[in-house]
This record gives sequence, structure tokens and C-alpha cells, in this order.
Amino acid sequence: MLDSVSTRRLFLQRGLTLVSAAVTVPTFLDNTVLALDQKADGARVQQASGKDGKILVVIQLSGGNDGLNTVIPWADDAYHKARPAIRHDPKDVLKLNNYVGLHPNLAPLKELYDNGKMAVIQGVGYPNPNRSHFRSMDIWHTAQPDNEVATNGWLGRFFDNTCAGVDPHVGVSIGATAPLAMKGDRITPLSFERPENYRYTGKDRERYEELNQADDAPATQPAEPSAPKTAREKFEQAKIERAKTKIEITPASQMEFLTRTAMDARVSSDDILRMTRGHNPQYQYPANGFGQGLKTIAAMIKGGLPTRVYYVSLGGFDTHAGERGRHDQLMQQLAQGVSAFLKDIQQQENDDRVLLMTFSEFGRRVTQNASGGTDHGAAAPMFLFGKNIQQGVLGQHPSLTKLDQGDLIYTVDFRSIYATILQKWLDTPSKAILGSQFPTMEKLLRV
Amino acid sequence: MPKLHPLLEPFVPTSDDPFDAVKAAHLLNRAGFGGLPDEIARIQSMGPQAAIDLLMDFPDARAEEVSQSDLPDLSSIEGYPKSFQEIRKLYAGKTQDERQAIQQMLQQANREAIAATIAWWMKRFANGPYPLHEKLVFMWHGHFTTSAKDERAAALMWNQNETIRRFAAGNFREFVKGISRDPAMLDYLNNTQNRKQKPNENYARELMELFTLGIGNYSEDDIKQAARAFTGWTHEDGEYRFRKYDHDEGAKAFFGKRGNFNGDDIIDIILMHPACAPYISTKVFRWFVYEEIEPGLAESLASILKQADWDLRPLIRTILSSKAFYASRTIGSQIKSPVQLVVGTVKLLELEMPPPLRLYGSLEQMGQVPLMPPNVKGWPGGRMWINTSTLFVRYNTCVFLAGGSAPMRQIKAIGKGANKNARASAEATGSFKPTVDAPPKELVDYWVNRLIQRPIPDDKKQILLDSLGTNPTESSLKQMIQLIVSMPEYQLC
Repeated sequence: MLDSVSTRRLFLQRGLTLVSAAVTVPTFLDNTVLALDQKADGARVQQASGKDGKILVVIQLSGGNDGLNTVIPWADDAYHKARPAIRHDPKDVLKLNNYVGLHPNLAPLKELYDNGKMAVIQGVGYPNPNRSHFRSMDIWHTAQPDNEVATNGWLGRFFDNTCAGVDPHVGVSIGATAPLAMKGDRITPLSFERPENYRYTGKDRERYEELNQADDAPATQPAEPSAPKTAREKFEQAKIERAKTKIEITPASQMEFLTRTAMDARVSSDDILRMTRGHNPQYQYPANGFGQGLKTIAAMIKGGLPTRVYYVSLGGFDTHAGERGRHDQLMQQLAQGVSAFLKDIQQQENDDRVLLMTFSEFGRRVTQNASGGTDHGAAAPMFLFGKNIQQGVLGQHPSLTKLDQGDLIYTVDFRSIYATILQKWLDTPSKAILGSQFPTMEKLLRV
Repeated sequence: MPKLHPLLEPFVPTSDDPFDAVKAAHLLNRAGFGGLPDEIARIQSMGPQAAIDLLMDFPDARAEEVSQSDLPDLSSIEGYPKSFQEIRKLYAGKTQDERQAIQQMLQQANREAIAATIAWWMKRFANGPYPLHEKLVFMWHGHFTTSAKDERAAALMWNQNETIRRFAAGNFREFVKGISRDPAMLDYLNNTQNRKQKPNENYARELMELFTLGIGNYSEDDIKQAARAFTGWTHEDGEYRFRKYDHDEGAKAFFGKRGNFNGDDIIDIILMHPACAPYISTKVFRWFVYEEIEPGLAESLASILKQADWDLRPLIRTILSSKAFYASRTIGSQIKSPVQLVVGTVKLLELEMPPPLRLYGSLEQMGQVPLMPPNVKGWPGGRMWINTSTLFVRYNTCVFLAGGSAPMRQIKAIGKGANKNARASAEATGSFKPTVDAPPKELVDYWVNRLIQRPIPDDKKQILLDSLGTNPTESSLKQMIQLIVSMPEYQLC
């Protein structure tokens, strides 16, 4: 099997030396390769392999995960009193300290904790918590509680601010549509439910590819060796022409834009399909969308996609009724997925550069409701996993008796965690992305 | 009155620059959802002015005033409780579990009605009696946004669609006053919670920021004052209600004026703001023509709207008749919205509109489900429609409509439990059956003309000809058509 580096190099050769016009260079190469001036293509190939960049994997627990039945305050009478029907018996809880412990089905995570690869942050939330799924999810995604019309998310703004060029691979989301968190003004991440869907499904692929090349690209005709330079000059020339008229959008520029996107899509689809098909880890991922999504992500990391952030969701946490059965099952899926993923990553020797983060739009009410479930709440714990986290239980656990409308009062603003990840993991100043400087948690990461 | 901007002067055909089939097709694309060859020929023979007369000949009326039979099937919410009191009655004497079951049943019925409304609208886009009216309703739906998500009542969503229908080409002032009383809007932007004791500023803010003026043309205090004027504007039994005791009767200082203003007064004052007419008229221009507008155009467009005392028809007519509308930079420069792409394909291939369950997932992945705009700003449009993921979905969806294989797992049901049906209907292959009735070259020309409606380069025609083969069969023709809808040219109109 060809690895991605060598095929990418092949593509570069095909793209830059056999084809003469700028329009045939995929968009995500032009701002990088063409900006490299006279440097050898090799520099970009190194960069594109993504073998050294740090990676963040975000796991979204959709529906409002019950934090109190995830990280259980087993030693607090108030917990047992508030939840007679859905509480966990202290003897089943996987104790982390003399106050909290993990849900009994999180045994694989407890193992990670004991091996120093898991951190628990307690009481994470934000001021004036919103109890609507949609609004609160938006708040976590945009990190802008006061802006109801934000069109970009915190990770999208990270891409916009720090990722050169418009490589669509910087963010990859497993799901039908990209989450708001990943949407930038300039960069939209890739998103697909399954890699098999991220491709052209028409029968005549060959002619489809020909029809999606630029008009003036004689793909079979070898060009002069100086083609890249010419391509750049042509591209610059077209830009100048457009600047003169101040009109960017014309039928021709739209065709160019579409053709370039189609070529981007083709290259990345080929890459991703090859990587995922060739990835058969020995670890058992859960057989649902979440587990398979994590497996796909592991394959893309292994394949060396230059991605900084991956995103995957596990849904079904809206446990208003009959919480125990469903929530117990979800805990098991979460634990199995994360555990298989980390083993997979470790075997690839990529564990040094991968950080996982879980979050949910809110936790749930302290007191159970009359249907053996819990209603929408506020603050809840977050998990971080990886070789570079500082193991432990961080932050102060919210009081179970001093509540705000029946809900836990947050002790850690989620934007502090975002700020920590941005600054210490993604190596970028967080203020520009989060709007103001949130205090970072010095003890969270060992980097 | 300032002189009309030269680009807004009417396009007059000449022998050098005739009203040809490309221009006639362009008019039908932009002022509707595309036209078949005979429709294009008819429009072309009429000439641009008569064609616009025909397109603009629709009543400013609700769909139910026009036809009692062509309406969405809302039977699933027949007898659905209309108010909180009625829901309470349903819950009375029930256990928590029974209440939960009732709630789930109600939500399911509501989602079915939403799906039926989307289905009805998609059909109407393709085959409704007044394509331009439909296009305008769709534009305003993305302007005065309300989303059906968050379990918003289907009956209210339908009523809002009808309200928009009445005003889409009517008087903008009346439109704003109407939409400010619309129950779905009052819900969506929380004006139902806007009370004298505890004002909610959401509606007042979006009214100015998004609906009338644009950001930067008002202060935070203007928002506070305007919010007070809208206190007590709420709804009951699906109708607008003014709750006197929730309304703030005090004096408000707004845009340099002072008085005991109510919501209507605020709207009148906003419309006098110099930013309003340019903001609205350029929005209409950008929707129909192009996004990057020349200096002076906004002022000229605004004066048309004000001259007509906010009647939208003269503005729409000027825009669709203008030189700018038929300029070479305009034709084929607009990226089709997902709805335009799907509806246009169904129309141009003369298909039945597939049931919404078969299309919903695709539309969602392309970024546009009618009745479900992503947020209060509506759909962004333009190049934002296109990225590597959505481009595949767009191509694959069109190939599917043209009789190709179903895009896997793009089929999603709106309501739970409907998944099985959705999958079953997805498995049935498209009903598209083109006829081989001409020699290969003519077939290529015919189908490129019918689908792309603009000339394409010869080498691309040759590729299509090669795919057709020397002895075309129904199957090779179908494949060629699938290739045409997978061309970047097909993404544009």
C-alpha cells in the first residue's frame, strides 16, 4: 500500500508539473505551495504528512450528560437523598478520591486514570446557564454566551487565526454536518458520516474527473519545468485583474472556485478512503457510529492527515425518564470507545501528540424527577485523556445543597479549559479566539 | 428623486445583444427555479418586459386564498392542543409516564406536520403556479427567519409561511408590522417573554440588526427602548394578542424622538432611518442579481423603494428588467442554493418531487432545509454553500435524482420511527427514464441545453459524446445525464 506521503508527492508532481494552469492546483495547495516561492516541493510534503503536529480530538456528549452519575459524589449524603431511584451504590463506584468516583461502567477509563492518562475537571459551566439544548450547545460551540448570532465556533476561529492556507483537512468532523464549533469564516472543516460517503458515487468516475478539471488544463500534455512559477504568476495575474475591477465573482471565477474545490475533494477523498480501508486495528471499537467514528479518526491520524482537530459525537444523553438503563449503556460505549482509541493510538506511537476532550451542553438537575430520570441542569464534569495530561481530579466540586434553581453552580468556566488547550496544546494565544483572556489551568497539561 | 443608476436601466434587446434563450433561461432561473425548453421558448418569444409581466402576475395572497386543494397535509395535528391550557387538560389525572407518552405523541405529530409542510413547499417550488412569488417567499423566509427546530409548532410555521406569502411582494412597512405580530416569530425571538416588568430585548435587537437596518445603525439604548415598546406583544390560540397589562405605557426615547411608542410606532421610525431602504433594497438586488454591488447602486435602489412608499413591486420589476440583471458577469455566476439545485433538477428532469424523507438528509448535509435556517441570520449563501464535503453531496444527490444509486445513509427521517420507511423509499431507484430519440451529437446538445442552459467548451462536449457512445441506449444516455449534473457548470445559474 502506498502511504499518504508518497501519493501526495505523486499528486504534487502531477498537479504542478504536468498541468500548467493555476486553476488546476487544489485550493489548499496554492496558498502554501505557491507561497513557498522557489523552495522545493519537499517542504510541503513534510508539512502535509502531519506526522509531528499536535492533535485535539473533541468528543461531544449530546443531549446533556448527567454529570452526577458520571463522576459520582459517592460520599455525599445529599447525592443519595436527591436520587433514591437512580443513584449508584457507593460500593459499585470506581473511587477516585474520598468524595467522587467514576460510574461503574467506566472501568476502562479508571484504568486510564490509574495509568496517568486521564484528568477529571469538576463543576464546569458558565454564568447564567441556558437550559435549552440548542442554545446551550451553541454557547459551548461558539464560546460566546452573549452572542446569539455567532456564525463561527471556537475551533473555527482557531483555524482562521492560525492555520495558513485553506487546507480543508485542518478540521475533520465525523457527522452529517460540521458542528458550529468547527466553522470558521475562512475555513470550513471536512465532515462525513462514513468515509465511504465522502466520495463521488456516480458510475463514470473517470469522465467525472475530466469534467471537473479546468478548461485550459491539457492534463496529458507535459508542461515546462518552470510550470509552478508560471502557475503562480498566472494566479497572481488573475488576482490583480479582479482587484482592478473590484469584482471577485464572475462566471469564470466561480468556475475556477468550483473546479479547485472539486479537485480538493478528490484528493482528500482518495487519501481518506485509502487510510480507512487499510486500518484494521486489533482493538474492539463499539459497533455504533461513535465507535466507528473514533476508529476512522485513528486511521486518519495513522495515515498522517495534517489535521489539528477531529470531532465526533455520542448522542442520547437526554435522560428525562428511565435514566439508569440508558445512561449505563452510554457510559459503557464511551469507555469502550475511548479506551480502544487510546490503545490504537499508542500502538501507532502517536499517543504523544493526541489529546482527547469530552463535553456536554449541560449536566442534569441534582434531584431526580418523577419518571426515574433527570431534567436539564447546568454545571458538569469534563474529561481529558492523553499521555500529556496531568492525572487527577481538578477544580472544586460544586455544592449539592447550595444550588441555583435546583442546579449545580459552576466552579470552572469552560472557556478556561478552552484557553488552556489553545495555549498549551495548540500553541496559539487564546485571547483573540475567545474574545478575552481566561485564566488557564496550569496543572492540566504536562507540556 | 436621484437619477436611475445606469445599471438599473431596463435591458433593451438589440440585434447585437438579443433576448436569446440563454437570457430567457436566466430569467426563469433567477426569478424562479428554472424552466424546461418549451417554457424558455415561450418566455423568449414574449420578450423581457412581457415575460416579467407574466412572472409578476400573482396575487399577494395566502395559498389558502388561492386554492383550497393545494395546501400542506396537516392532518397529523388535527385537534392538536392550541394552548398551554388545553395541554394541561390533556395531562389532567394522568401519571408522569402517561404524560410523557402524550408529549411524545404530540411531538411526533408535530414533526410529521413539519415534514408535510416542507414536502408541500418543495413541490410548490418546482411546480407551483407562481414561481417568482415562491422565490420571494423563500427569500423572505431566510430574512425574517424562524426555525421549526426546538419543537416549534407546525401550525404556527405554516401560518408564518402564509403571512410571508401575503407580503412577499407587498408593502414592506406592512410586512414588518405583520411579521412582528406573527406567532412563530414571537416565539422564536422570545417576544412572548417580553413583559413590562422584565423586558426581553431579543426581538427588538434582531428587528434592527437583521430585519431592517443592519449592525452599527443603532445603540444598545435604542434596543432597550424599542424592546419596551414591544412588551405585551404575544400570541394565544395561534393568533396575535396584545396583553395590555404586560405592555409598558411609559415614554420611550428612540432615534431622537420621544413618546409613548408602541411597536408599530417603532417600526415607522425605523423605516425613516436612512440606512433602512438601502439595506432592504440591496438585499433584494443581491438575491436576484449579484453580491458585489457598484457604488451608487444602493442609493438608486433605495430611492425606488421609498418613491413607492415601500411597495416592493416596483423594486422587484426594476431589478429583474435591469441591465445589471442581464450582464455577462451575472448570467451563470450564482452558486445554486441546495434548494435551487434540488428543485431545479427535479423540474428539469420532469420528476416527481421525492418525499422529504428521501431528500431531508441530503438537504441537511448541503446546508439548507426549508423551515430550518441555521440561526436567526438565515442562510449565508454564495460560496459558503461549497466545500469539499457539500460538493460531493451536491453531485451525488443530483446523480441520484437522475436515476443513479442512492447516496448511502444520507437518508434521515425527521421523526423517529419513520426511518424504516425512509430506507425503503430510498431503495426504490429513481423514476427517471430519458428517451433516446436523436443521434448522439444532438442528444448531447439537447441535454446540455436543457440542464446547463449555457454553452460549454467543446472538449467537455466531446467527453459527454464519448460517454454516450455511437449507439446510445437508455442506460448510456442516463449516464451521460448523470455526468452533466456532475459538472461544475451545473452548480451555477
